[in-house]
Amino acid sequence: MTLHQKELLDNVLKMMDYSGEEDVLKSDCDIDIYLLDNCEITVPEINRFMVAVDCRAIREIVLRERFYAAKSTIRDPAYADGMAAKLYFGTYDFGHTSACWEDVIDLGIYGLRQRIDRYRDRAGNDPHKQRFYREITRVYDAALRFIARAAKKARDEGRTEMADGLDHLTKGAPSTLYEALQTVILYYYLQQYFDGTLLRTLGRLDTLLLPFYKKADKAIVPQMLLDFMQEIDRIRAAANMPFALGGTDEQGNDLINELSYLLLETYRKAGTNCTKLHLLISKNTPRDIVENALDAVREGNNSIVFMDDGRVIKSLELLGEEHRDAVNYHVVGCYECGANGEITCSCGTRMNLAKALEMALFSGVDLLTGKQIGLANDGVFPTFDDLFSEYLRQVKYAVDCGIYCTDLCEENYGMLHAAPIFSATYVSALENGGDLYCDHSAKYPNSSVDAIGLATATDSLAAIRKLVYEDKSLTLDELKAILKNNWEGQEVLRLTVKNKFPKYGMGDKKTDDLAKKTVDALAAQVNGHPNKKGGIYRLGLFSIDWRWKFGSLTGASADGRLSGETVSQNTGATFGADRNGATAHLLSVAYLDGTRTPNGAIVDLDLHSSAVRGENGLNAMTASLYTFLDLGGFCIHYNVLDTETLKKAKDNPEAYPNLQVRLCGWNVLFSSLSEKEKEEFIARSESAGMSA
Amino acid sequence: MKGLVSGIKRMEIHDGDGLRTTVFLKGCPLKCIWCHNPESISFSVQTAYFKEKCLHCGTCGDKHTAETALSCPVNAIVTYGTEYEAYELVETVMQDEAFFRAGNGGVTLSGGECLAQPDFAVELARLFHEKRISVYIDTCGFVPRETLKRILPYTDKFLYDVKAVDPAVHRACTGQDNAIIIDNLRFLSKMGAAIEIRIPLVVGYNDMEIPAIADLLKDIPCISKVKVLKYHNFAASRYEALGMENTLPPALTTSEDVQKAVDILASRGLNAVNGVTSD
Ligand code: SF4
Ligand code: SF4
Repeated sequence: MTLHQKELLDNVLKMMDYSGEEDVLKSDCDIDIYLLDNCEITVPEINRFMVAVDCRAIREIVLRERFYAAKSTIRDPAYADGMAAKLYFGTYDFGHTSACWEDVIDLGIYGLRQRIDRYRDRAGNDPHKQRFYREITRVYDAALRFIARAAKKARDEGRTEMADGLDHLTKGAPSTLYEALQTVILYYYLQQYFDGTLLRTLGRLDTLLLPFYKKADKAIVPQMLLDFMQEIDRIRAAANMPFALGGTDEQGNDLINELSYLLLETYRKAGTNCTKLHLLISKNTPRDIVENALDAVREGNNSIVFMDDGRVIKSLELLGEEHRDAVNYHVVGCYECGANGEITCSCGTRMNLAKALEMALFSGVDLLTGKQIGLANDGVFPTFDDLFSEYLRQVKYAVDCGIYCTDLCEENYGMLHAAPIFSATYVSALENGGDLYCDHSAKYPNSSVDAIGLATATDSLAAIRKLVYEDKSLTLDELKAILKNNWEGQEVLRLTVKNKFPKYGMGDKKTDDLAKKTVDALAAQVNGHPNKKGGIYRLGLFSIDWRWKFGSLTGASADGRLSGETVSQNTGATFGADRNGATAHLLSVAYLDGTRTPNGAIVDLDLHSSAVRGENGLNAMTASLYTFLDLGGFCIHYNVLDTETLKKAKDNPEAYPNLQVRLCGWNVLFSSLSEKEKEEFIARSESAGMSA
Repeated sequence: MKGLVSGIKRMEIHDGDGLRTTVFLKGCPLKCIWCHNPESISFSVQTAYFKEKCLHCGTCGDKHTAETALSCPVNAIVTYGTEYEAYELVETVMQDEAFFRAGNGGVTLSGGECLAQPDFAVELARLFHEKRISVYIDTCGFVPRETLKRILPYTDKFLYDVKAVDPAVHRACTGQDNAIIIDNLRFLSKMGAAIEIRIPLVVGYNDMEIPAIADLLKDIPCISKVKVLKYHNFAASRYEALGMENTLPPALTTSEDVQKAVDILASRGLNAVNGVTSD
């Protein structure tokens, strides 16, 4: 931290009130304004659109302080053990948002400021609302002062293009492609660094920018887009910074346009690490852009996610969201979809399916700590169905607990965080005259639950069914003793279960049914469950990098997994269990109901580079994608792995500084992985190569 | 109708056009020294023992049989040869029907020599054909004319191996004469069958045959493509595991050698394709 940053932080912390009675909206507005007026502005040589500021990270510290101040209110000690054991987890989430980008681009910061006045004038005398308008107006005035300051700084340094653009944005909406792109980055700064609300998508850039593109001099566009994408990437957003291409409009027309191709081409050229692409595929998406994106994946750009537009829309409509909002959805973060006007709080609640099975087997007692964290039972399960019902009962309990913990946080958002800059982009916030977080003013103020370790739990259930109830080679008590001992002295049995037993991901209905029933039960419980904000919960099935932590706290499981090993990733098969190859793997995943997981359900398909080589390789990849989506898949991501390259990169990281793999929800530099993670990737590529 | 299958490989892109499933039928009348599927030469069930995988857990009592293969926890014992009813195999393969349709693919019967189990192969081809699934037959051509006649109506394309023209070279490399093979190729061509030729290039063994192969092929109509495949010796551990004498030549063939062969074939007007770069 520089001296100036330190000073900013000290002053910000002094502005806070730790009494527990803090007026968070007011004090966050004060903080926003203080930072906007006092941050230091520099103009990096390399930037074309935007200056740099030094207030990064300050907002995170503010949130942390608020969390500690509110802890006794938002955390219930009765749930501490279950949370610590990662049977469930419930927390706040201010991190997965999309601005209403149409309005940001349409109006610019200046126009957003003017719009507040109109809502204020219409709102009558409601003091609560009037106060909200007053507060956010103060912030937007400060934002305009900040832009003017940035413009002046740019001008002082002889950066005419940047200065002219910023000057224009202090008094009007963007009018050129340059200014539109500048607005995207500018808004990103405002929300992320000043408002402290993580922005996790740039929106559907091809649709948003099309009107500006049409008016632009085509000769200068490619370079401008490239500069833009690289500048975005240099921001080094926490996690990744996605943008989307495609989707459909209300009438069902596909939205891929000329600019979509150009943006994809730019993306392929840009060599970025942080920027990620969601391709929203409808029935009418031109095949060539899909192939083009798959070709990019094949060449090592693995940060492209392929989503089924129709299924996303359906899943949002099933939540009761209006068609026009569902169609105009955004994908925040990795794969979480939210309707227009929806705050998804997509990462608030998590639960561990593998641990829930542990609860069923051990009467709610944590294998690792001996603490009672789940529901007790008598341990008698005459049939497999009895055990399966008990598992579902424990799943339900864990979800309930996670939701309870999230509810505690969410009903107290007023103690934690306000987002004045972000709120002004939502018409519902303006209409309701309240902050998106403090006042839950979004049209859909929703929350989410993610269930983790689906394949681990499913494989374990399948193994118990076979060992105890079908082959009867062990009693349940004997199996429990083995798990308690972490398979010690039972290596032959463990490997037999691991290598020879049926698994989720082999396209075998009998096993896949267990996964399907689990997901159906989760969906029935979660989707539509009311939250404390006037909204509902939504289900997701992604595990991202949580799977390591969740696995480390889960005892040995009946699928042959040792205590502490990672649980399975996202909706995919346990690593190594996709013994029948990629198509079988996809058949298993597509068997799950893809319309009930609006919060995201992704499979990571590992393919060896030799399996996707040449024209026919691309054809096969494309076919696998379309078939998966046709059969009911929600979203897919490909890892094209080449064992040799990964091995070399492990031994000699300096030689491969830019090699990326997709670890979980986002792509990471291979060189940044732990040795354990690197080894897992190499093993995965070998197993993909084996079936190639 | 039952047959013996040594393996099934899904989402295959190297055995013909589009996204395919390759079914390997067990047993082959040739015995190529470079055979990359040694487990598919014999017509009977075989058990292989991969000692580098073995844990020495004692479960098998050091007996490596089809029985003990079932209980080896790490699949160090592998049985090659599963008996399938034709309809049963078709059902298994049809799980991927949607993928075949989207990927303009289908099924490839390979081996071994799939036509060395003629009744089974014909029945499979017929059943797939009935379901409008594209059927490719990967054959070494060393089969009775009668079998070709029977399979022809259900075959969308033959992937036809040509290894050498000089009978002495052919005998040295495969153990058999090639007169029947060349004859059968001419026959299929005359029948108007779609044919893709595949030449495994093994430097030091059949690379000098390329000009003669080119001359042979250039006068045979109906050949849509000639693909040159680069020899590798990845199968070495399987020879050992099967207890077979490892006849594999050293892997000297380079991508440049393949391209040279392609150039020679192309210079005779053939649609020659480099198997290294094309897939
Ligand atoms: S059962 Fe398998 S691992 Fe065990 S000794 Fe026999 S071959 Fe080796
Ligand atoms: S024809 Fe094919 S399967 Fe038969 S021995 Fe030769 S290489 Fe092996």
